[in-house]
Formats: sequence, C-alpha cells, structure tokens
Amino acid sequence: MDCKIVPSVCSYCGTGCGVLFQVLDGKLMGTMPMKTHPVNEGKLCIKGWNLHEHVNSFMRLKQPLVKTFGRFIKTGWDEAIQLTADRFRGIIEKYGPDSIGVLVSAKITNEENSLGQKFSRAVIGTNNVDHCARL
Amino acid sequence: MQAQVKEWLEQGKVDVFLAYKMIQGHPLPYCFTRNDLDEVNELIPGPIRYPLEKIATKIAARYPDVKIGLLVRDCNQRALNVLYVWNQLNPENVETISVNCCPSKLKEHADCSYLEPKKAGPYKKQVGVDNNMDLEDMDAYGRQERFNRWMYEFKKCIKCYGCRDICPVCFCKECSLEHDDLIGTGDLPPEVPIFHLVRAVHMAGRCIDCGLCEDACPVDIPLRLLYKKVNEIVMDVFEYETGTSPSQNPFSVLGDTVTLKPKPISQAA
Repeated sequence: MDCKIVPSVCSYCGTGCGVLFQVLDGKLMGTMPMKTHPVNEGKLCIKGWNLHEHVNSFMRLKQPLVKTFGRFIKTGWDEAIQLTADRFRGIIEKYGPDSIGVLVSAKITNEENSLGQKFSRAVIGTNNVDHCARL
Repeated sequence: MQAQVKEWLEQGKVDVFLAYKMIQGHPLPYCFTRNDLDEVNELIPGPIRYPLEKIATKIAARYPDVKIGLLVRDCNQRALNVLYVWNQLNPENVETISVNCCPSKLKEHADCSYLEPKKAGPYKKQVGVDNNMDLEDMDAYGRQERFNRWMYEFKKCIKCYGCRDICPVCFCKECSLEHDDLIGTGDLPPEVPIFHLVRAVHMAGRCIDCGLCEDACPVDIPLRLLYKKVNEIVMDVFEYETGTSPSQNPFSVLGDTVTLKPKPISQAA
C-alpha cells in the first residue's frame, strides 16, 4: 500500500489555488484545499474540489488524435507533431506567417507562456500572440 | 510522540500513521510508514487541522485490514466515534495518539487555531448571521427575522459542495445533494434554502461540530450554528449525543427493544 498526500496547484484557472491530492497506489482518490496556501486559504470552488474526477475520467484525452477523412484516429506524439509542423509550414509558405495566431492560457505556467510567445515570434515569425482570457 | 509512533510502526501495531509534516513551508497531512522511519522525526502535531479520519476512511475502504494510526484532537475523536458507529472504520484497526485541541471556552490553551471563526463585519451582523453567535441568541430573533437572516446567508452559496467534501462524517456513496429529483444538480445558484436544509437534516445525529465545513466555506455561511441546531433537536428528542461514544448505535435511539407490535400482514391481506 502506498498512500501519499501531494501538494499541487489547481490546473483549472489562473487563480492558482493550492490543492492537496490524496494518492492511493498511484491513483488520485480525493482533492482537498490547502489550508495554509496564501491564495485560497483552505477554500476551493466546485471545479477544484473535483480535480481528481477529471484526472480519472474515462473521457480524458490521453493521446493525440488526428482527423483523417472526417474521423479521429489515435496516433503517436511524434507523428502528430510532425503533421502539425508540416501543415504550419504549408500555411506559412502560402499565406505568410501573420496568417497564424497563438493563444496562450492562464492554466499554464509563466514559463510555458513565455515559451508560447517565443514559439510564435521566433519559430512562426508573427506577433499574433494573445491570451485566451481575451478570446 | 515521535518515539511512540516509531515504536508502533516498528512493532507492527500500526501499518501507517497519519499526522502532519512541514512540506515546502506548509504544515500538511502526511502518511508515515515503516519504510522510512527517519521521516517520523519530522512529525509535527499542529497547528493545523485536516480531516485525517476521512483519509483513513478512504484507506480502509480499499484495504480493510490495514492498521491505521492517527493523530487526534477532540474533534477527530468524535468523528472517529461516528465512523465506528456507522461501520466506516473498524475500531480494532485504528490506534490514536491524542494531542492538544483547538482554543475554545472550555480549553484556553490550544495548539490548533483554526477553529476560531473570523469576527463578523457590521453588514453581516445587521442582515445576516454572526458565525460566533450562540443558539440562544439565534432563537431570540423573531421567526420572520430569523428566516430573513438565514436566507441572506444561504443566498451567498456558490454550490461548491466544499462543506460536504471536507466533512469527515460524510461518507455516503450516493449523496442527496446530487440527486436530481431533490436538488437541481446543474443549476446555479442552488435552490435555497432546500440545498442547505437537506444537508442540515442529514447532519442530525452525524455532525460532530468540528467546524471544518465552515472553514472550507468560501462565502462564510455559519454552517456550524445550523448543524448545532439540528443536533440540539436530536439531543432533546432522542437524548442522542453525537460522537461521544463509539458504541452508541444510531439505529437504537428509540430504545433497544421494539415497542410497536408487529403488523398482522396476513390479516391485512
């Protein structure tokens, strides 16, 4: 038996509430708010309270899907990334880099957001970067 | 205390011990095992309160034979008694170490400081219910005023289900608060006051007044006071004091013997 209580940050929105996961044998059993966390002070919203359900959900997407002939086909990460890169390249060549925009998110970390803007400016070559909250 | 926990783990008196440990500057619940006995030196008794018994219930549901040790304050002990009575934990598989409790009128010195509710602001005092209020003061209000004050509190509810999710004595697999016929599950804000009253009725004879629900409530509804009231009724009518003994069966509150005569089914048919 392996019982752990793991502190983490809620992944739902940009608020960043502290949560505790109760993990039994590597499976999430429950979520609790972190009482000493400066952001949420022991409180959570309904989404935060049910984080473990969304992690354990059978409907959760665990691998990339590629839409081929109108249907989603499961595939590996390498193939999916290659396919996306090829399509991006095709669009940039045909319509120019400003035909692509990048939306970053509050749900990801500062570092990931920074990588997102770097990707759009340095790799794609456009300043079309915005935040999903302004969508 | 740490030496005793080590001894228990070594001797096999307990397989796991639930207590608190400082992790990244936060006192967090932690599950100590005999695989790493040195960790037990970092065990701390407080000053924090999480529903350790709820974690224990989840472990026991998966591994019924695991012996669980717990750090308990008075509220944890009452919760354990309720869980024993309702067959959620086997008292033979639970060992406890008692630690100092929360500050209250009865105990002035205490390690755990999370029970003291915040002082209510002037607006809340005027139109709502002060969380620090006594039941007598509440009953002193007129019927209509009492209703208005409680409705002000209930209307703030954001339906996070936090009160139910943190409650150490809430263990039902199917919860009435998720029942579509009783409470509209998808609607926000929740139907008031039925949402809170359904929970209050279910807390009768269960609530051990630990205050975790009120602590977890994002909108500061005085839930403890509400559940205190239903428990007071249970006490008045059935003389059943929740959580005081591990053997007080809730099914026998009406008496140990059945006084109603069995119905003559054959005649009725």
